[in-house]
Amino acid sequence: MGVFAWRNLLTRPLRTVLALIGLSVPILGVMGLFSVSNGLRDLVGETLSQIEGVMIIRENVPSPVFSTLPASLADDLRRLPGVRAVAPEVWGIAPNIEGRGMLVRGLLSKKGMGSVFDQPLISGQDIAAHMNLNSAVFPRALKEKGEGRFLTLEDIGKPNIVISRKLARDFADPQGNPRKLGDSLRIADKNYTIVGLYETGSLLLDVVIVMDIETARSVLNFAKDSISSIYVEAKNPGGYDALSATIEKANPGVDARSMNEVKANFGSLMGQVDKLLMMTVSLALIVGIVGIINTMLMSTTERFVEFGVLRTNGWSEANILTLVTLESAFLGLLAGIVGCVLALIGTTIANQFISGGVHLGINPSLLGMGISLSVIMGTLGGLYPAWRAARLVPMEAIRIGSH
Amino acid sequence: MIEVVNVWKSYRSGIRWVEALRGINCRIERGRFAFIVGPSGSGKSTLLYLLGALDQPSNGEILVNGQNLVTMSEAMQNLYRREQVGFIFQSFNLISNLSALENVLVPFLPRGITADQRARAGELLKQVGLEDRLDHHPYQLSGGEQQRVAIARALIKQPLLVLADEPTGELDSKTGDEIYKILRSMQHTYQTTLVIVTHDRRFITPDDLVLEIQDGQVALESGAIADGSSWPNGSKAEGSAGSNGEDSPGRGVSLKAGE
Repeated sequence: MGVFAWRNLLTRPLRTVLALIGLSVPILGVMGLFSVSNGLRDLVGETLSQIEGVMIIRENVPSPVFSTLPASLADDLRRLPGVRAVAPEVWGIAPNIEGRGMLVRGLLSKKGMGSVFDQPLISGQDIAAHMNLNSAVFPRALKEKGEGRFLTLEDIGKPNIVISRKLARDFADPQGNPRKLGDSLRIADKNYTIVGLYETGSLLLDVVIVMDIETARSVLNFAKDSISSIYVEAKNPGGYDALSATIEKANPGVDARSMNEVKANFGSLMGQVDKLLMMTVSLALIVGIVGIINTMLMSTTERFVEFGVLRTNGWSEANILTLVTLESAFLGLLAGIVGCVLALIGTTIANQFISGGVHLGINPSLLGMGISLSVIMGTLGGLYPAWRAARLVPMEAIRIGSH
Repeated sequence: MIEVVNVWKSYRSGIRWVEALRGINCRIERGRFAFIVGPSGSGKSTLLYLLGALDQPSNGEILVNGQNLVTMSEAMQNLYRREQVGFIFQSFNLISNLSALENVLVPFLPRGITADQRARAGELLKQVGLEDRLDHHPYQLSGGEQQRVAIARALIKQPLLVLADEPTGELDSKTGDEIYKILRSMQHTYQTTLVIVTHDRRFITPDDLVLEIQDGQVALESGAIADGSSWPNGSKAEGSAGSNGEDSPGRGVSLKAGE
C-alpha cells in the first residue's frame, strides 16, 4: 500500500510540488531559527571551554565590563583554602580607536549581527599575577595560533598591547593592511605598540585588547584602588563549584562564577530562547498543517470514485484511512527533506557572510527534528481528509464522483 | 442463491426524500445470467449496489447464499466484497496510476500481493486477451480493453457473484459484443452468478433471467423462454420494443410486481 500511496503523490506532480513548497517553508524557518540558536550555543560553548577558572565580579552585573570591586579583595581571596592563583583585572569598552568611537564603529560595521558582539574591549591585567596562571586564555591562544609575545613584567607601566588578529584586520593601517607586530594602535589619544597577536577563534574573546592593569586604569579612567574582576584558579581542577560557593559565602556582594555555572545559566537562557522560537515557529507550522489539510481535501474530493471503487473491492474504512494518511505523511517526509536541504544550503551560504566566529549550525539531531516535525505535520494534516474519505458510503462515493 | 425480500430504499436528494426501491422482491438462482432492466431512475443501480453490500436498505432483507447482508457487520461486509463479489462499472473505474496487472490485483493490495495472486491475475488477463498489455496503464488502453481489465479484476477473487452496472454503456456495439462474449464465457467457466444492469437489451438471450424494474418495484420478471421468439436478436418481438435497444415494459413470461 505504501508504493500505491507514493504513486498517488507522483500522479499529481504540480499539486504535490505546491504542497511541498507550502510545507517546506515553515520547516526551513524552523531549521533556520534553530541553526542561529545552535550557532550561539556553539560560540559560547567554545568560548567557555577555553576558560577553566572562577570569575569573581560584583553581584547582579552581567559581565566584568560593568563590575567594580575593591582591589583589596584579591588579597582576601588568596587566603582562602583551595585557591591556587588570583589574578585581578580591569575591564572596559575601548574608547576611540584610530579616531573611531563606539557609535561610529557600530555604524560603520558591515558585518550584520557580528557587530553586536565585536565592540573592542580593554582588559587590563595584573601581569605578575597572570603569569602565575595555568589556564590563562590569551597567552595560550597566542602560543598556539598567534605571533609575537605575550605581556611580561617588562611591560608593566608601558604602552604595550596584545591584540587579536581580528582587531588587527578591523583596525587596518591607512593602506588597508592588517596591523603587524611593532605597529602602533591609537587608543584615545595615545599610541600603543602591538607586541603580540593572538587568535582564539571565538567571537566573544577575539575583541579584547590586553594591556597592563595600570595602563588600562589610565585609559579607562579607573580608580587606582578598584578592579573589575578577579580570575581565580583552584588547586583542585574538579573543585571549582565548591570554591565558588566558598568565595561567595566569605564575601557577600560578590558573584563567583565557575564556568560550569555560566554554562548552566547560558543553557537555561537558550532554553527560554528556544521556547520563544518554538512559539513563533508553531504559528508557521499551523499554517503548514492547514495547507496540507487543504491539499489533501482537494485531492480526496477529486478521488471519491477511486475510493468507492476500492471499497467495492473489499477495502475497509481503515484501509482508506491508512492510504490517505500515508500519502500525507509521505508529503510531510518529502517537505521535511526539501526544507532540511534548503536550510543546509542557506546556512552554508549565510556562514560565508557572517563573521566573528558565529557559525550557523545544523547538526544531525536538528535535521532529524526537522524531518520528524514535517512527517508529524503531514500526518496530522492528512487525518481529517483521510477520515472524510474513509467515511464515504461506497455507493455514494461512486455516485458523487461520477457527477 | 440471491433472495431480495420486501426491500425498501430511500435516500435524501437535496431537500426531498427519494423512494428508490419500494418493497421489491426477487430471487436469482446460483449460476444465472441475470439482467436488471428498466427506465432511468427506476432503481436498477440502487438494487445492484444493495446486492453488493455497498449500501444498506431502509427496510427488508437481502440474502446471498444464506448470508443476510442487512445484519452483516461492517467487517463482514468488507470481507464479502473482497472475497465473494466482483464489480464491473460502466466507466470501467480503473485506478489511473496502476498497470493493468496491478488494477486486477487491487482487492489484495492492502494485505500484500502473493506470487500466486500475481500469476492468477496474469492468467485472467490472458483469458480476456490482454496478455501483451499487462504493464499498460489505463490511459494506454482502449475502452474495451479497460473493461476487460475490469472484468479480470472482478473475477480475480473467484467470486460467487459478479455485479455489472451498464458494462457496455461507454463502448461501441462491436466492443460491447466482445465484452458480453467474455462475460458469458467467464460465467460458463467459473459458474459465477452474473447480475447486470443495462439499458441495452440486445445482449439478452432466452436463457437469461430478466428483472424489469419500474418505480422501485419489479414490474416484470422473465426466466428461460423456450422458443426465444420474443427476444431481440431472435426473429421478432412480441409486444416489445426491445429490438431497438430501448427499455420497455411488457416482455417476459411471469409477473411478480409488487410482491
